[in-house]
Amino acid sequence: MSTALPAPAREPAWSLSRSAIGLWTVQGVLGTLTYAVLVTAGILVVPGDAGALATIVRWGGPALVLLIGVVTTGIRPRLRYRVHRWEVTADAVYTLTGWLDRTWTLVPISRIQTVDVNRGLVQQLFGLATVAVLTASSQGTVRIPHLEVEVARRVAEDLARRAEQVRDEAT
Amino acid sequence: MSDPAAVPGQRTSRWVLLLHTITFRQARALVPAALGLGAARGFEGGTVTVVAAVVGVTLLSLLWAALSWWRFSYAVGDTSVVVTRGLLSRSVRTVPLDRVRGVEVEAPALHRLFGLVRVEIDAAAGSVGSTGEELVVDGVTRAEGDRLRARLLAARLPPSRGRHAAGADLDPEVDDDRDEVITRFDPRWLLYAPLVGSYLAVPVAAFGALFRLLDEVPDRFLPQVDRPGVPDGLLAALLLLGGLVLLGVGSIVGSAVVNWHFRLVRRGGSLVATRGLVTRRHTELEIDRIRGCTVSQGVGMRLAGAARASALVTGLGDAARRGQLLPLGPQEEAWALAERLVEPTDPLQLHPAAARRRSVVRGVVPGVLVLVAGVVLTATSGWWPLLVVGAVLTGLGVPLGLARYAATGHATGLWSFAVRSGWLVREHAVLQRRAVVGWQVRQSPFQRRAGLVTVLACVGVGSGGYTARDMAADEAAGFARAASGAWADALTPAG
Repeated sequence: MSTALPAPAREPAWSLSRSAIGLWTVQGVLGTLTYAVLVTAGILVVPGDAGALATIVRWGGPALVLLIGVVTTGIRPRLRYRVHRWEVTADAVYTLTGWLDRTWTLVPISRIQTVDVNRGLVQQLFGLATVAVLTASSQGTVRIPHLEVEVARRVAEDLARRAEQVRDEAT
Repeated sequence: MSDPAAVPGQRTSRWVLLLHTITFRQARALVPAALGLGAARGFEGGTVTVVAAVVGVTLLSLLWAALSWWRFSYAVGDTSVVVTRGLLSRSVRTVPLDRVRGVEVEAPALHRLFGLVRVEIDAAAGSVGSTGEELVVDGVTRAEGDRLRARLLAARLPPSRGRHAAGADLDPEVDDDRDEVITRFDPRWLLYAPLVGSYLAVPVAAFGALFRLLDEVPDRFLPQVDRPGVPDGLLAALLLLGGLVLLGVGSIVGSAVVNWHFRLVRRGGSLVATRGLVTRRHTELEIDRIRGCTVSQGVGMRLAGAARASALVTGLGDAARRGQLLPLGPQEEAWALAERLVEPTDPLQLHPAAARRRSVVRGVVPGVLVLVAGVVLTATSGWWPLLVVGAVLTGLGVPLGLARYAATGHATGLWSFAVRSGWLVREHAVLQRRAVVGWQVRQSPFQRRAGLVTVLACVGVGSGGYTARDMAADEAAGFARAASGAWADALTPAG
């Protein structure tokens, strides 16, 4: 999987809360259950004498659900936790996200427009929150997912305060 | 004192009532429903029903227009502009004057007949591409429109320039000796129109609408056309030829209607673009807010050496249309304009050889998938056409991949940077370094193996982000640093 080629960008310094693994696993379970329901419905709808289609739905469907289940609950959460990192430097917010694809995002504090703290339903169970940093660009949003609520709140406050001080109106 | 509520609201001109009744502006939504109802009932009563329906819709339209007119008012205070509207629920929108980014005065054909204009106040608050933040005052007199514009823009600008803008002659038809003409549309440029996809779409859409209409009309109203006595092949060829000629002429006419008499002038701190045959549009861009420029060329346009140029302006709603500096013209003209607005960069750098391989693979993959499906089908049921399609698609994928590769590139300069991409429409974007509000570096597992990355410059203008795909991985951090500022050093890998 990994090669000798160096990463294109520096790795941000801090890792996420370990509870993030649990949260991603729960999300994986929920997603797998959704697929399982869909496949069950498919098996009920397709008549048994529909030939090749029936075979595909009967055997391929459950196999696919099993595969999705293993990947999204067993493999993906751990891989994600290994990849995801974040950092707030002297003048920028910097994150690394993804599991197969990797995305490094860097936004200077001087260009921050708003800072949001979001808490999803599952996130609340794990005491986590996501900090979303918005800029003037619709594509230039940085999300630091799954920080402990207290950390998220402090980061958001700190960023908002510093953005206020150094905001430049160039954009 | 500066309380906007203290300023009495003003209504639009009464003539707008007539105007909106004629165009069924508010009742337009009912027309398809009425047509559908009529079609379902088969226009039983014949002419009487149709006339009754038309009269009914007109009366309804008048009533609706009257109510809308009566409930609509606008007021420009010392600090903000307030627009009140809504038939049942009242909506009051207040926009601080310093948030007004631009004012567009538009005079559609019917409006001109009544001496009216439509004023669009652009107050986009950081959101790119949305038109929801726009205030429209539809149907004021030309003089009132100009007064509004001068008032709104004067408040926005610093005092010295504000006086200038307010004092300048605002009628676009009158030449002002302070105006510096930058581009004047040459009617010969209209000949490029058949090469541009969006103008070709105009006659196609017109034909589509015509056929839909013919479909709605009951058969007994349609004349019976006998088949002319010519062989099938010849008829098809004639139809095709006729269609192509119509398409070409239609696109030229369409382009002429939109771009007629296009003129770009510099007036004080702004660029003013005027254009249009039937509807005269008058758009003003503040030069200080220009962050970049794009020059785009479709396949056909590249063959003919044509291009279009647009300015990337912060906080401009509907930027794709309003930012246009050269809707259609020779590429030399487009490049000259771009260089005039944004400092030019160093020459474009192509991406490494690994990027060419990836581009070819990307181009070929869809064809290969079809090919595999074709092989399976041929083996199982002997149905071979899909196999042929797959082979052709795979073959075409190679030149497509190479062409896409040849289109990508990036460059940096002292004050600006550039990225280029696209084969169907090749877009070369030149952006100022200060426009960058963030960087995104993406790498898929395949790219990781090939030592490539995709770098996205996030900007608060245009599409929000400009991409350099498949750049060499070890160049990414250096490019980001050179194309923005010292803050991007955070990306530089250690050691």
